[in-house]
Amino acid sequence: MTVFHFFNCAILTFGPHAVYYSATPLSEYDTLGTSVKAALVYLGTALVKLVCLATFLKVSDNESFDPYQEFLKALIGFIDVAGLYFALTQLTHRNISQNHKFQAVGLGWAFADSVLHRLAPLWVGARGLEFTWDYILQGLEANANLVLSISLAALGSLMWLRKNKPKTLIPIIYTCAGIVATMPSITSYLRRGLGWHFPEVVGFQLFTSLVMAFISWQLFAACQRPSA
Amino acid sequence: MAQAKPGGERQVLESMYSMIALVFILVACVELCDAATVVDVYRLIQYDISGAPFGSRLANLNHHAGSLQFAPGSDLSRTVLIIPLRELNISFVKEYITQNQPLGGLLFLLPQIFNIENRERAKSNHQTDGVELLKNDLAELEKLLIHSKIPYPVYFAFEDDDIEAVLADVKRNDATGQPATATTGGYKLVVSVPEPKKRASPTITNIQGWLSGLKTDGDANQLPTIAIVASYDTFGAAPALSVGSDSNGSGVVALLEIARLFSVLYSNPKTRGRYNLLFGLTSGGPYNYNGTHKWLRSFDQRQRESIDYAICLNSIGSWDNDLWIHVSKPPENAYIKQIFEGFSNVAEELGVKVGLKHKKINISNPRVAWEHEQFSRLRVTAATLSELSVAPELLESTGSLVDGRPFVNEAAIIKSVKLVAESLARHIYGHEGKNVQIFADNSSLAVNPSYIKSWLDLLSQTPRVAPFLSKNDPCILALKKELEDHTDEVNVQHEVLDGMFTFYDSTRASLNIYQVASVTFDLLLLLVLGSYLIVLFSFLVITTRGLDDLISLFRRPPQRKVKTA
Repeated sequence: MTVFHFFNCAILTFGPHAVYYSATPLSEYDTLGTSVKAALVYLGTALVKLVCLATFLKVSDNESFDPYQEFLKALIGFIDVAGLYFALTQLTHRNISQNHKFQAVGLGWAFADSVLHRLAPLWVGARGLEFTWDYILQGLEANANLVLSISLAALGSLMWLRKNKPKTLIPIIYTCAGIVATMPSITSYLRRGLGWHFPEVVGFQLFTSLVMAFISWQLFAACQRPSA
Repeated sequence: MAQAKPGGERQVLESMYSMIALVFILVACVELCDAATVVDVYRLIQYDISGAPFGSRLANLNHHAGSLQFAPGSDLSRTVLIIPLRELNISFVKEYITQNQPLGGLLFLLPQIFNIENRERAKSNHQTDGVELLKNDLAELEKLLIHSKIPYPVYFAFEDDDIEAVLADVKRNDATGQPATATTGGYKLVVSVPEPKKRASPTITNIQGWLSGLKTDGDANQLPTIAIVASYDTFGAAPALSVGSDSNGSGVVALLEIARLFSVLYSNPKTRGRYNLLFGLTSGGPYNYNGTHKWLRSFDQRQRESIDYAICLNSIGSWDNDLWIHVSKPPENAYIKQIFEGFSNVAEELGVKVGLKHKKINISNPRVAWEHEQFSRLRVTAATLSELSVAPELLESTGSLVDGRPFVNEAAIIKSVKLVAESLARHIYGHEGKNVQIFADNSSLAVNPSYIKSWLDLLSQTPRVAPFLSKNDPCILALKKELEDHTDEVNVQHEVLDGMFTFYDSTRASLNIYQVASVTFDLLLLLVLGSYLIVLFSFLVITTRGLDDLISLFRRPPQRKVKTA
């Protein structure tokens, strides 16, 4: 019954992306092309990040938290942000409203991230006889990642696509974007530096993703009001 | 040019397709071993005697784990019972086996003191009462298992932390009254090995070393020979664990040491005796000394007649004060008297007692209980020196699981070597009855305790069941080389074991223990995930499109009907 388990974990990991696409107006406006292009941009940025990590990072034997290495990893993580910028601004989209553009880009981004990072371990591991909670936790992590990607895309579109923003909100927008962008470094610090176990890290990710989504939703709505 | 391009493109496409197909095949075939625990297990022996099957007849295992705390009356035909030796109830196992109750499999957990690969075990305290009880239990269990036909797999494993944790978990689950099946989760024990096959033409290898005596010009005839023989192979419930430290590792070690001592004496022509010495390491011991029989048949009549007498060594490793000389010729026989007196005199000096036991041989009975009986059947005077006072039954005292290094005493072997070497030397050099110590301690001819210890340690880590030893097994080659060091001429004889015994392979395997979740868990998870996705879907539709849209998703068909009407 282990292909069954693989199937369960697969729908937990990839189901929300499909549900998001079909439930929201994205499906009505046929924004699939945007999502696919965003996924390809993610692949490109992942490749660039890989090369940079291989060039600049030392391989350490132990699992301890090395601040210098983590700082370097965070810097390289900003390539992610650059990729997102490229996807949001440079790709020629059809006339889609900004509201839907950031959602589509965020969705494609998160889907590519899930496939790249979670499909292979799932296929290899979840089909075995041995039962662990890891794959279910990984699915929950994928959900949190989806929410985070969409909020990052929202903040990104606020930063780069919206020209008239209320002056007071600009620093908040940038700090939130910074927090979301450095989320991978924060989780790795929690796991290695503080020694948290996987379930606790996933719980933290879910919580912060919901908080960040709420904050970015409020910011987006606040920026929406003057132009309305 | 225009035609070459599409051809080239097609080739690129084809190679791409084959690449994709290869990737798919690879991906589908990935099956990693992801068990939480992997344990080395050793299978119960599977053999036939004249077609009658004995031992465990299956090797593959794929069932749920259960413990002795199962609810009475539950169906165990798809359960593997894990039974630690410390909690063994021999009558329960006997009842299960003799009444042919259906069972998925048996896994016995033995304490580490019986583990041949455990370096620490020889140093542990092996004289405590607890160990004696365990030894008796294990010996009884082995006897039961060897002589029964068991239609399911039986494995032996050694206690370690992983498997103890698994067993504790299984016991806890069983105590709640729920047997572990596909719907209730638990642990699954998997051993995947190919179907056990018969060992075709098992070879037995006899190794003989010849030490020539001093032939002066006046001797027209051949010099008389004295033979010292020990069988080196074993048979036990778990062939991968049958090291037989006492039966007959002690005999082999004693023979090698005696060979070494006499090779020192014979290396100098001034001290070379007027007897040839023949050292024989025979195989096929547990099977009515089949190898000894074939070895003796390979000599011609003249060689056999030149053997004055033969001393066979069998189990001389764990005695304190009493040894037995077993003979088949009546004790009144002059030769037997001479041999016995020689041994008794030396024994008295060493402070031990040697007794004489006579057992007549029955030519029509194929059962050969002692090695000297094979000599006697060919009219050669022979005796067996052993700590056992009674002849063992077939397949008894042949190197079982309890016959391990902690239960053998080097001091006993040293005493035996002194006894045999001194008696032989006095006979060879004509010093019978005289009080002279040829192999005195602290002399250059003293018995070497570290030689004995190192060979005993080595043999206690080498399982030596004859059908599973190939012609060039490292053990056989090592014994051959050692005899070559001590003797003038070494011959190796390969024979085929007689057809009465048939053996099957697959003696050790790796047991994978998986912790499995039940089917109900998977179904529950599917239900939870399904409802989560539905809730997510409704939430997103409501927040982005409004509640009306959600309701309209379910209301479309009736509206269409109204329109067409």
